[in-house]
Amino acid sequence: MNKIGLIISREYLTRVKKKSFILMSFLGPLLIFGFVLLTAYLSKGNKEKYEILVVDESHLFDSILRNSDKYHLQWAPKNKDYKEVQDIFKKDDQLDLLVYLPINLIKTNSMTAKCLYKEIPSTGVQKHLSSIINEAIELYRVSFNKIDISTYKSIKTKINLDVVDIENKANRNIQRKAFVGIAFAMFIYAFIFLYSVQVMRGVIEEKSNRIVEIIISSVSTFELMMAKIIGVGLVGITQFIIWTIVTMIMSVTILPFLIQDSYNPSLQMNSNKLLENNFKIDPNNEAIQFIINDIQWSYLILFFILFFLGGYFLYSGLMAAIGAAVDEEADTQQFLLPLTIPMVFAILMSSKVIDEPSSSLAFWLSEIPFTSPIIMIVRIAMGIGDSSVEIWEIVLSLFLLVITFVGTTWLSGKIYRKGILSYGKKASYSDLFKWLKN
Amino acid sequence: MSSKNIIEIEGLHKSYSDHKALDNINLSIGESKIFGLLGPNGAGKTTLIRIINQILQPDQGVVRFAGELLSRKHIHSIGYLPEERGLYKKMKVGEQALYLAQLKGLSKKDAKQKLNYWFEKLGADNWWNKKVEDLSKGMAQKIQFITTVLHEPKVLILDEPLSGLDPVNSLLIKNEILELKKNNTSIILSTHDMNSVEEICDEVAIINNSKKILQGSITEIKKNYEENLWTILYRGNQMNFTNAVWGGWELINHKTINDSINKAEIKLLNDFTINKFIKGIVDHVEILEINKKTPSISDVFIKATTDE
Repeated sequence: MNKIGLIISREYLTRVKKKSFILMSFLGPLLIFGFVLLTAYLSKGNKEKYEILVVDESHLFDSILRNSDKYHLQWAPKNKDYKEVQDIFKKDDQLDLLVYLPINLIKTNSMTAKCLYKEIPSTGVQKHLSSIINEAIELYRVSFNKIDISTYKSIKTKINLDVVDIENKANRNIQRKAFVGIAFAMFIYAFIFLYSVQVMRGVIEEKSNRIVEIIISSVSTFELMMAKIIGVGLVGITQFIIWTIVTMIMSVTILPFLIQDSYNPSLQMNSNKLLENNFKIDPNNEAIQFIINDIQWSYLILFFILFFLGGYFLYSGLMAAIGAAVDEEADTQQFLLPLTIPMVFAILMSSKVIDEPSSSLAFWLSEIPFTSPIIMIVRIAMGIGDSSVEIWEIVLSLFLLVITFVGTTWLSGKIYRKGILSYGKKASYSDLFKWLKN
Repeated sequence: MSSKNIIEIEGLHKSYSDHKALDNINLSIGESKIFGLLGPNGAGKTTLIRIINQILQPDQGVVRFAGELLSRKHIHSIGYLPEERGLYKKMKVGEQALYLAQLKGLSKKDAKQKLNYWFEKLGADNWWNKKVEDLSKGMAQKIQFITTVLHEPKVLILDEPLSGLDPVNSLLIKNEILELKKNNTSIILSTHDMNSVEEICDEVAIINNSKKILQGSITEIKKNYEENLWTILYRGNQMNFTNAVWGGWELINHKTINDSINKAEIKLLNDFTINKFIKGIVDHVEILEINKKTPSISDVFIKATTDE
């Protein structure tokens, strides 16, 4: 094996053999899994039926408030006031919510109805309650103003906006895809940051124990730096591939059981059958179905690896330079800050990108190399095509990323070469510039 | 003994952006000798070592290795033991030793064989699977020593090889160094430990403020720094001793050992001889012992670097 290969394999093997690496290989997918399950759980809505106690001070609502199976309304005794009804509500375990409609609610627009809860109702439930109260008030006012009910109905609209991509009619659920995009953006951020910091730590270790002086008498400083970056990068890719495989295995083996137990007892089929059913575990659970069927996983994983590598090479070169410039990790703060700012900025901007994935903001942030790995992953998750990101934008972004990291690595190499041999003095920015110039 | 030089340095200059590290250094290091490279902190020793290791390029001047201009092919003929720990803490001892040996151009098989020999020799046989961070300083130093000498370099550069070692391990490493010398290895020893310099070095050079201020064999250097100092142990009265001889000497130090026994340290001036002095005092006090005081390397070092 040549010496560079020897260094790469040492960097790689010492890291993948670590207990923490092996632990993270399984803990990571578990976290992803927890995240998926949580999404499914939250999107499900938590209760089958709500018992709602209504305090109607005006006694005008009882005939017009819409009752249903899911939202079952009970009227509070008319001889009790609001305070006393609250006591009843507190004591009765059957009751989930208490809705208070003050006396003037129906006549003015300035009053507020109240909903008291024991366990906070989901936003869906809150919306439903608010809409049936509004509807009741409208109906009351319709008859109070002697408007014909059919006229009212013809005026009253209830329109759903179906947002569909013209090129790809199946391309819905953009917001949910964005959610997956955010998750991947977080992953790529974490991967780039964690692994480039590992490069920095490795450099500091070699510098502080002087072993670097032995190694760079056998290989050049640039070769050592690149070997380290490549070795650690391979660790990152290995980790990601393990995560992908373990997550897939978990999806096939564990997910069906979890879904059966906690979500839909009626679906008591065995896991083999579930496999045959192409993962359509619970037709009622949109989130699970969406995660499995609607995301372009193969693209997402491919581009994750490419953008991880690009971003990692960009940042790890700079991190190596920082590691070489300091004597101990405590001194790295001042240099790390400017490196983390663009990444944190990208994470913050990702919500804006989700709102308008094909805006010029989204375009530029996904092309500028310091933010592009994160923002581009968000856009890719939202679908490749007109609605979010075109393939040429991805190619351009990757190209710019490669050009930039070649440049920064070259500059980092200069700082690294000087820094790695200078001890004792705390390096400042002016030192770094001096090293760059020489 | 052969007088061939393994390393010859001529007119070496090296400057960093803000200061001069080496200023016209000329040095010759004899084959199969132990060469002490001395100098205060920041004098330029590390820069010199780095140039020999080809980590740095000189601005001017040449380094010759066994008569040839120093080049990449000599890397494998040089072993360097840096100051400080010099090992990866989290790596296992065996893996690490193999890694470093392979970096120095040994095959894995050769390296393993040689490591077994050395591990046994230095009593480190069962450390193979230990992590370096679990070793004591002395143990780690031994491993580091092994990894430095494993590829049988012609020149060994040792930077403070004995620091932090207990007397037993210190002696062990010293003996190994002497044995390597016997087997024709040339050794450059950079240290502040003047006792070991005196014990094992054949020659020394002192570098101060980027210049070489002194080079020579230990005995030569000591002779040059001799000041005609003598210690005299006598029985008798101090007044009688000091008044016995007029002129030609100076009393540097005087100590009463017990009742009538005294120890005097004197410096003879110009060409005043010790014979003349003895003639003068012999009738006044009883001379018990006379010794010529030779300077220690430590004395030479301090004098040479502070006189500058």
